[in-house]
Amino acid sequence: MSRALSRTVFGVMLVFFALFFVLPIWGTLRMAFVDADGRFTLEFVLEVFRNVLYREGLVNSFVIAAWTTLGCLLAALPLAVVYVRFDYPGKALLNSLVLTPLILPPFVGALGVQAMLGQAGALNSLLMDAGLMSREQPVDWLGDGQMAGVIIMNVLHLYPIVYLNAAAALANLDPALEEAASNLGCPPWRRFWRITLPLTMPGIFAGSAIAFIWAFTELGVPLVFDFDRVTSVQIFNAIKDLSNNPFPYALVVVLLFFSTLFYGLSKLAFERSIATGGGRATTGRETVRPSAPRAFLCTAAFAALTGLALIPHLGVILLSFAQDWYATVLPDTLTLTHYREALGHELTLGSIANSLKYASLATLLDVVLGIGVAYVVVRTTLPGRQLLDAMAMLPLAVPGLVMAFGYLALSREGQPLHALMLGEDPLLLLVVAYAMRRLPYVVRSAAAGFQQVNPILEEAAQNLGASPERALWRITLPLVTPNLIAGALLAFSFAMLEVSDSMILAQQAAHFPITKAIYTLASSLGDGPALAAALGVWSMVFLTITMLGAGAVLGKRLGALFRT
Amino acid sequence: MVAITVHRLTKRFGTATVLADINLRIEPGELFFLLGPSGCGKTTLLRHLAGFYTPDAGTIRFDDEDVTHLPAHQRGTGMMFQSYALWPHLSVAENVAFGLEERRCPKAEIATRVAEALAAVKLDGLGERRIQQLSGGQQQRVALARALVIRPKCLFLDEPLSNLDAKLRLDMRAEIRRICKEYGLTGIYVTHDQEEALSMADRLAVMEAGRLVQVGAPLEVYRNPANRMVAEFIGETNILSGTVQGAGGGMGCFEVDTAAGRLTARCHLAAWQPAPGDRVQVSIRPEALTLSDEPPALPNRFKGIVENVIYLGATAQYELRVSGSAGLKVTQMNPAALLQPSGAAVTASVGVDDVVLLPG
Repeated sequence: MSRALSRTVFGVMLVFFALFFVLPIWGTLRMAFVDADGRFTLEFVLEVFRNVLYREGLVNSFVIAAWTTLGCLLAALPLAVVYVRFDYPGKALLNSLVLTPLILPPFVGALGVQAMLGQAGALNSLLMDAGLMSREQPVDWLGDGQMAGVIIMNVLHLYPIVYLNAAAALANLDPALEEAASNLGCPPWRRFWRITLPLTMPGIFAGSAIAFIWAFTELGVPLVFDFDRVTSVQIFNAIKDLSNNPFPYALVVVLLFFSTLFYGLSKLAFERSIATGGGRATTGRETVRPSAPRAFLCTAAFAALTGLALIPHLGVILLSFAQDWYATVLPDTLTLTHYREALGHELTLGSIANSLKYASLATLLDVVLGIGVAYVVVRTTLPGRQLLDAMAMLPLAVPGLVMAFGYLALSREGQPLHALMLGEDPLLLLVVAYAMRRLPYVVRSAAAGFQQVNPILEEAAQNLGASPERALWRITLPLVTPNLIAGALLAFSFAMLEVSDSMILAQQAAHFPITKAIYTLASSLGDGPALAAALGVWSMVFLTITMLGAGAVLGKRLGALFRT
Repeated sequence: MVAITVHRLTKRFGTATVLADINLRIEPGELFFLLGPSGCGKTTLLRHLAGFYTPDAGTIRFDDEDVTHLPAHQRGTGMMFQSYALWPHLSVAENVAFGLEERRCPKAEIATRVAEALAAVKLDGLGERRIQQLSGGQQQRVALARALVIRPKCLFLDEPLSNLDAKLRLDMRAEIRRICKEYGLTGIYVTHDQEEALSMADRLAVMEAGRLVQVGAPLEVYRNPANRMVAEFIGETNILSGTVQGAGGGMGCFEVDTAAGRLTARCHLAAWQPAPGDRVQVSIRPEALTLSDEPPALPNRFKGIVENVIYLGATAQYELRVSGSAGLKVTQMNPAALLQPSGAAVTASVGVDDVVLLPG
C-alpha cells in the first residue's frame, strides 16, 4: 500500500474514532463534571457515592460482577485444565459445545431461566411432583430481588469466554517449563500453583476481566429479571429526563472509570511482567489418556456443565412452543402459533427489517475500515500504526452502555451529533454505534489473514508491474477473503443481537431493532413472553448458523476472536 | 553417583514403535551419549529416564531401585532442556532456588547453595536478573546451575547446546564435561552432533529407528562401526559394495572384489564371519587414504583422476574418479601443495586395518 493511501486510512480512522468514540465519551464526561454555570465540579460524581440508591446500585453491580467472575472461573478453569491435559470420550464435540451459550442473547436466555428456575418454574414443579418440596412454600432459586438469577444467567453466558482464554493460555505454555519443575522434585498440584498458574495468569485474567466488565455493565439481563437496583438499569431508567439531570452522566462516568480500571489492570499487571520468554516450545504437549473411570469423569464434568449452560436455551425453546406454561414441569400443550404470530406481529416484522438494515450497513462500514486498519497495522511501517491498532481495539474496553449513552446525549437537539438523527430515525446513529462496537472483531480477523499471507506474493505482483494498490486488490484481498467473511459474519450477527445501543437509541416502535422488540414483547402481558421466546429461537438459529459459518472458515482460530 | 540400567524397554505411540526392546547399562560417573538422526528415539529414551514417559514394557533401574513407574518429581534427577525451560516469572536466583525449595531446605542454606551454583557456572552477581535480560549463553548456564544445585543423582542433557553459536558451543562442551566430572555425576547427553559426542563422551550409543545399533567408546565406534548406518552417521566414509572371495591377508582379513578392484579388508565383528560369495560392504575413511604419484607400499590401491578439490587449510578434500566406481573421497592432512583436477592419474592407497568389512 502506498504511503499516501496508508495516511488516508489513518486519517479516516482518526476522524471516525474522534467523532464516534472520543466525542461521545468526552460529552458524557463534560456533563458529569461541569455544572450549570460552566464550572468544573466533582459534586455530581461525589453525589453518586453519597446517594443511597446509587450507592446500592453500584454495590449490586460489583457484587453481581464479582460472583459472576468467580462462577465463570470455577466453571471454566477445571474444564480448561482437563481439556488441555487429558483425552476422554467425546472431547472434540464437548469442546465445541462449550460455545453454545454464546449463541443465545443473554437477555433472551433470562426468559428461559425464569421459566425453568422461577418459583413457578419447571424445576420447582419437578421437585413438587417428586414430593421433595412443599407446594405452599416453593424455593426461590433466583434469590431475593432476582439477583441470583442475574448472576446465574451471566455465568451461564460468560463462562465460555473465560474457558477459551484459559484453554489457550494453557495450551500455549511450553510443556518443558512444567517438566523442569517435576524434574526438580515438584509434585503435580504444587507445580500447578507455582508454575502453571502464574504463567497462564495473563490469559486467565484477560478472560476474567472481560467477564467482569461484561457483568458489571450488563443491561439486558437485569432488565428482563426486573432487577432495577443496579447501575446499568438506573442509567437506562434515567434516560427519560436526560436534559436537566446530570446524575445519569455521573453514573456513566463512574461505570466507565471502573471498567477502564479493570481493563487497564488486566493489561498492565500481567502482560508486561511476563513476556513469553523461555524461547520456543521444544516438546509437543502430550495429552494423557486416563483410566476408563477417570476419562468418563472428565466427559461427565464437561457434559454436566454444558447441560447446565443449556438451561436457558431449553427454557426459551419450551416457552416458544408452549400454549400456556405455568407451574408444570413441561408445557401441557405445544403449539406453533407463537412462531406464526411472531412473524405476523406488527412489531416483529418491522424490527427484523430494521435490524437487517442497521446490521448490514454497520458490517459494511466495519469491513471497509477493518481492511484498511489491519493492512496498515500489519503490513506498513507507518509511524503511529500501533496507535491505530489501539484505537481499533479500544471499543472492547468500553462498555456498550457507556457508548450508547454518549451517543444519545450527543444526538440531542443542539449537540454535535444531532445531524445523525434523520428526523426521528436513528438509522445512522445505530449504524455508527454498531460499527464502532464490532470493529475490533473485523480488524482482528483481517489482521490474522494479513499475517498469514506472505508479503512476497504481493512483491511478486509489483515486480510484474502491478501498483501497490492493484497488488493488494488482486493478490492479497482474495487470499484473506475467508478471514474477512468470518469477521464480517461475527460483526453482523452481534450487531443483529446488540442490546445496549438498541435499547437506548431506538425510541420509537417503528425504528425498533429486533432486540428491543423482544424486550418490549417480553415485558408485555398475555402471550408477549412466548412471542419473545419465539423470536429468541429465531435469533438462536440465526446465530448458530453464523457461528458455524465463521467456525468453518476460521477453524480453531474462532476462539481467538473472544480473547483480549 | 548412580548406575542406570535399562531392561527391554519398549514404547509405542499409537501404532508406531518408537523404542524397541532397548537394553542398556550406564556406569556410575560415566558421561554417556545418545546419538542418532532426528526421530531415532534418543530424546524419547531420555524422557523415559527422567520420568516424563511411562514405557509400554521393560524396566528402568537407578542402581538397584526400580524407578520405571516413579513419577518424575520423585526421581531426583537433574535435567537440562533443549529450550532451557527457564520460568519467565521467576528471577535467575528464584529459578535456581526452586528445586531446593521443593526439598524444603532451610532459607540460609538455599541462599549459599544458589550463590555457589551461580558461581560454578560463572554467573555470580546475576541472581536478581530477569530471564529475558540474559543472553542465550547465560540462559544456558542458568539451566545448568538449576539442574546441578539440587545435587542430582544423575544429569540429563537434551541437546543443550543446539541453540548456541559455534564458538560458545565449543567452550560449553569443555565446561559441561568438567562439571560432570567434578561433581562425579552420571550424565546422559542427547545430541545429533557427532563431533559433540566424540569429543565429550566416555561411551556413546548410536540409535536408529528406536533401536540401539551400537554402544561403545568413541574410538571404538569410529574405528569399528557395527554397520553402514553407523559408519556413515559418525564421520565421513566411502562405502563400496563387493563380493567376498575368501579369507586372506592376515588374521580376520578377507579378500573382497569390488568395482574398483580387489581389496583386502578387516572384519572386526565377532558375531559375523562372511563366507566366499557373500555380498558385503567395505567402509574406508577419507583420511585413511594416502595420495601418491609413485606406486605406494600399502596393499589396497585405487587408480583414479582428481575430479574436484576443496582446500580447508588444515586439510584438502579430494574427490577421485576411480574406474568403475563413484567418487572416492580422500582427505589429505596438512597439504603443502594441491593436486589440480586434470587428466593425470593418481593413486590412493590404504592399509588393511582401515578397510572395514560390513554386512551387506
